[in-house]
Amino acid sequence: MGGLARRVSYIKAFKHRSNLEVPTLFVDAGNLFTDERFTGAQLPSEVMTKNKWVVKSYGDFRHDAANLSYTDLPYLAELLKKDGFDQRAEEYPFIKRLVSANIQPAADSHLAPVPYVIREINLKRSKPGSKLKVGIVGFTDAKPIGPNQKEQAVAGFVIGDPFEAAKRVLPELKQKVDYIVALAYMPLDMAQRLASENAEIDTIIGARQQNSQDPAHHFNRATITYAYNQTKYLGELRVYLNGDGAVENQITRFIGLDSLIPDDPAAVDAVSSAHNEFTTEQNKKALDTSASLQPTSMLSTANSPFIGGETCASCHEEAFKIWEQSGHAHAMATLENKKQQFDTECVGCHVVGFQKGGFQSLVTTPQFANVQCESCHGPGRQHAENPAKGYGFIETPVGCTTCHTVPNSPDFDFETYWPKIKH
Amino acid sequence: MRRKISLMVLIAFVIALSVASHGCSRDGAIDPDEADDSFNIDLDNPVLKERLAEDDGYAFAVFYGADIHGSLETCG
Repeated sequence: MGGLARRVSYIKAFKHRSNLEVPTLFVDAGNLFTDERFTGAQLPSEVMTKNKWVVKSYGDFRHDAANLSYTDLPYLAELLKKDGFDQRAEEYPFIKRLVSANIQPAADSHLAPVPYVIREINLKRSKPGSKLKVGIVGFTDAKPIGPNQKEQAVAGFVIGDPFEAAKRVLPELKQKVDYIVALAYMPLDMAQRLASENAEIDTIIGARQQNSQDPAHHFNRATITYAYNQTKYLGELRVYLNGDGAVENQITRFIGLDSLIPDDPAAVDAVSSAHNEFTTEQNKKALDTSASLQPTSMLSTANSPFIGGETCASCHEEAFKIWEQSGHAHAMATLENKKQQFDTECVGCHVVGFQKGGFQSLVTTPQFANVQCESCHGPGRQHAENPAKGYGFIETPVGCTTCHTVPNSPDFDFETYWPKIKH
Repeated sequence: MRRKISLMVLIAFVIALSVASHGCSRDGAIDPDEADDSFNIDLDNPVLKERLAEDDGYAFAVFYGADIHGSLETCG
């Protein structure tokens, strides 16, 4: 479900259904790049490859703007280096549509992102023949690092106060445009404050990894809607104008992008190329890693808090047989079929103990591939060494929803899923 | 003279080509008709019709998403 290719085809269908009379804009409210394994230095090369394909594809498939959030800053530090910027912008023009009104570089070596972009659309309805200028401006909250703690300096950029930035930028933007969309990577209470304090805003499109399809809120003049986490549901804001071109009404909907929505072939090609380049990079790294490891560390079961399902089977034979017949036993194959077996965003829910001393890669720790006993019951070494009671209790269905989240497993229902693995 | 005419025709062709390539830049006015000639989706598909919902006269639309975190598709 989801993905760029279905987004693109849905929007094409939307435009054609209205006989190409309805201009459309396509925006991202933030967290478009991954900051995976960023430790303060440069991002790993395969992570850079993923991000490069996002910025390329967003340009190729007509996104009008994307807001920058704190997670985007490690890669932004690559994009906005003054050295070589013009060449990068020529290759990936979408760089110039990354917006933020409250992110500034800490050093002179980097450019600041533009606070906003302006798009001009030709109206064919409501006020046919006229043009409407739309300003798209970006704001982000600082990076949360603990309860009531936020970090404002990330990857060589400083995240300023979004409310001060709004007071500075919005009056200027309002002079230039007819309609303002604010992209806001922040919780709802902050978005409400943004709307309450700034009457210039017509719409706030917020984001914060939200897995809900809440109806829009209205504060001051603004309609506030939140984007759905990842690509499984596409947000659609319909804007109705009166004969004078003023906003009369705004309605939001969420479109489920399941397999019934066809994939756009060109976008499929782009996603496939991104995949291939990423996989090649990951394969190379995995092989380099395995070549540098000693045989003892390659099969590091003895040093791991995890023991693998085969060891569990020596006592829990019946449960193991049931597991072997289940989808959990083939969880890695579903990733391999989509060439995602190296994608660390996905791997964690398809293996045992990823980044916790268990699965590293298919080359070095194949014994921890697939969703095995310890994926749900927890590390089993202590239990195996001292098989006392008390190990392995799982509170259901909460324990399952660590991985069976709404975006990853929209059809998950404990009552129907449990019988498939009951043991 | 013939060479001059040929040259002028060539220049005119290059200018026309340049306008065709760059004249509808997305940095200016957006023409909703542009570059959708690759479209081949069956609009009579009942599921797609249901997803698109009724065209009730909206003037324009803004599509939005977020949090793709580097992934152009979803896992598994």
